[in-house]
Amino acid sequence: MIRLALVLALLGALPAGAEALKPWSGGATPPLELDDLKGARHRLADYRGKVVLINFWATWCVPCREEMPSIERLRASLENRPFAVLAVNLAEPESRIARFLEAVPLGFPILLDRDAKAARAWQAKMLPATYIVGPDGAIRYRHLGELDWSKPEVRESIIRLMKR
Amino acid sequence: MDRRSFLKTGAAAAALPWPSVFAAPQWRAYEVTTRVEILKPQGASRAWLPLPLVEDTPWQRNIGNQWSGNAAHTQVLSDGKYGAAMLYAQWNADSAPVLELTSRFATRDHAVDVARPRADAERLSAAERAFFTAPTEYIPTDGIVRDTAREIVRKERTDIGKARAIYEWVVENTFRDPEVRGCGWGDIKSMLETRNFGGKCGDLNAMFVGLARSAGIPARDVYGLRVARSAHGYASLGVGSPNVTRAQHCRAEFFAQGYGWVPVDPADVRKVVLEEPGRLAIHDAKVVAARKRLFGGWEMNWLAYNMAHDIELPHSRGPKLPYFMYPNGESGGQRLDSLDPDSFKYTITSRETTA
Repeated sequence: MIRLALVLALLGALPAGAEALKPWSGGATPPLELDDLKGARHRLADYRGKVVLINFWATWCVPCREEMPSIERLRASLENRPFAVLAVNLAEPESRIARFLEAVPLGFPILLDRDAKAARAWQAKMLPATYIVGPDGAIRYRHLGELDWSKPEVRESIIRLMKR
Repeated sequence: MDRRSFLKTGAAAAALPWPSVFAAPQWRAYEVTTRVEILKPQGASRAWLPLPLVEDTPWQRNIGNQWSGNAAHTQVLSDGKYGAAMLYAQWNADSAPVLELTSRFATRDHAVDVARPRADAERLSAAERAFFTAPTEYIPTDGIVRDTAREIVRKERTDIGKARAIYEWVVENTFRDPEVRGCGWGDIKSMLETRNFGGKCGDLNAMFVGLARSAGIPARDVYGLRVARSAHGYASLGVGSPNVTRAQHCRAEFFAQGYGWVPVDPADVRKVVLEEPGRLAIHDAKVVAARKRLFGGWEMNWLAYNMAHDIELPHSRGPKLPYFMYPNGESGGQRLDSLDPDSFKYTITSRETTA
C-alpha cells in the first residue's frame, strides 16, 4: 500500500506530457536560417518570445506524412498564442513538396534544408525529428519518430513553456 | 559439429539454388535506353544521365553510347573526384526538352574465390588505400561507426575475415526498430545511433562500406541498374520486364591484399528475405544460398554506373547528390523531381542483344 502510494505520488509529481516529450539535454540550440517555399528567409532568432515547434520531415517518410495533420491541429488550436511551427524539409525538390501540400494543406511555413546541413546540425538522426524551442531560444524537448501532437498532454507541455 | 547438424547443413548445401561461378562465365551484351522529357519547362533546362563505367573491368565492358533529341548542347562529362561519367544536356527556354540515350555494354558474372589468394591480384597504392578508407559526407568513419566496426572485427586478423564479419553483421542486424515509427535518411551514423537499420541498398551497403572503411579496409559502393532477370531463380534479384525505370540498385566492394576488389551485396540478402514469394526466413535454403554467394560474387544481370559519393553535378547550383544512379534534371534553376511524372518524365528500358 505504501509502495502504491509512493508510485502515485511520483506519478503526480511528473508534469503532464512528460511521457510524450523527452526533455532536451543535448546542449545549445544550433542556429536555423533557411528559406521557405516562397523564398522568404526564416531565422529562428527572429522567433524569440515564442515557443517554436521545429519539425524535420520528408514526403517519402510515411510517419512524417501521418503526423503532419496533428501538427497542423496543434498550430490551429494555439492560434493567437505565442507559438509557431517551422517544418524543415530534408533536401527534396520543391515540386514534390508542393504536391504534398496540395493534398495536406498546412498553415505553417515549409523551410528547405537543401543540403541537409540543418538536419545534421540539429542531430535529427531519423525522421520525423521534432524540437520544441522555448521563448528564450533554448531547446526544451526533442521527439524522434511519429507522435500525435494534438494530444492534450503534449499541448499542455507546450502551453506551460509559454508561461515560463 | 554433431551428426544431426552436419546432416542439416549438408541437406541445405545440396539444395542451394545458386551454384558457384568461379569457372569463366559467358559475356552477355545489353542495350539500355533512357528517354527523358521535361514536360513543363520553367526557363532554360538541363539534364544529367548516368553512363556505364568508363573503364572496362573483368565483369563489365563498355561498347558505346549514342543519343538523340532536341538539346541545344550535349556533352559527356565526369565529376572531378570519382570520374563518374554522365551525359549532360541543356536546352534554351523556348524548347520542349527531350533526350534519348542508348548505352551498350557487356557483362559477365563476377566472383572472387575468397579462399585462394592470387599472386597476380590487383594492388592498391598508398594513395588509393587512403582514398577508399576516407569518410564521405554520409559515411563517417569515426565515433559510433568506428566503435561498432572495431567491436565487429575484434576477433578477426585478416582483411577477408574482417570483411566477412562486417558482411554477416549487416545481414543479421538490419531491421527496423519496432518501438519507434520513423525513417532513417541514409546517414549511417544516425542509423547506428538510433538502431534504426531499415533501409534499401543505398543505406545497407553504405553501412557495409562505412564499417569496412572504419576497420581500415578499403571499400566502395558501386551504383547501377538491374537490367535482366536473375538466372538463379530469384525474382527479387532481377527485373521481370524490359521496363527497368525503377530498377536502380547499388552494390559494394572491399579490397583485400592478394584478392583485389571483392564484390559483396548484403542488401540483396535482405531483399531476398523480404521480397521472395512467401517472405522467407533467414535460414531458408534460398536465403542461405544468396548469403553465401553474395560475399564474393555478383550476378551480372546489372549495369554498373559509377562509384561516386557526394557528387556535384557539373553546371548545377543545386545540392550535392549522395549518389548518382537516377536521371536528374533542372528547369529555371530548380532541381526537378525525378518521381514527378507531371514535370520530369523518364523511362528506362533494357534488352539483351547477345545472339
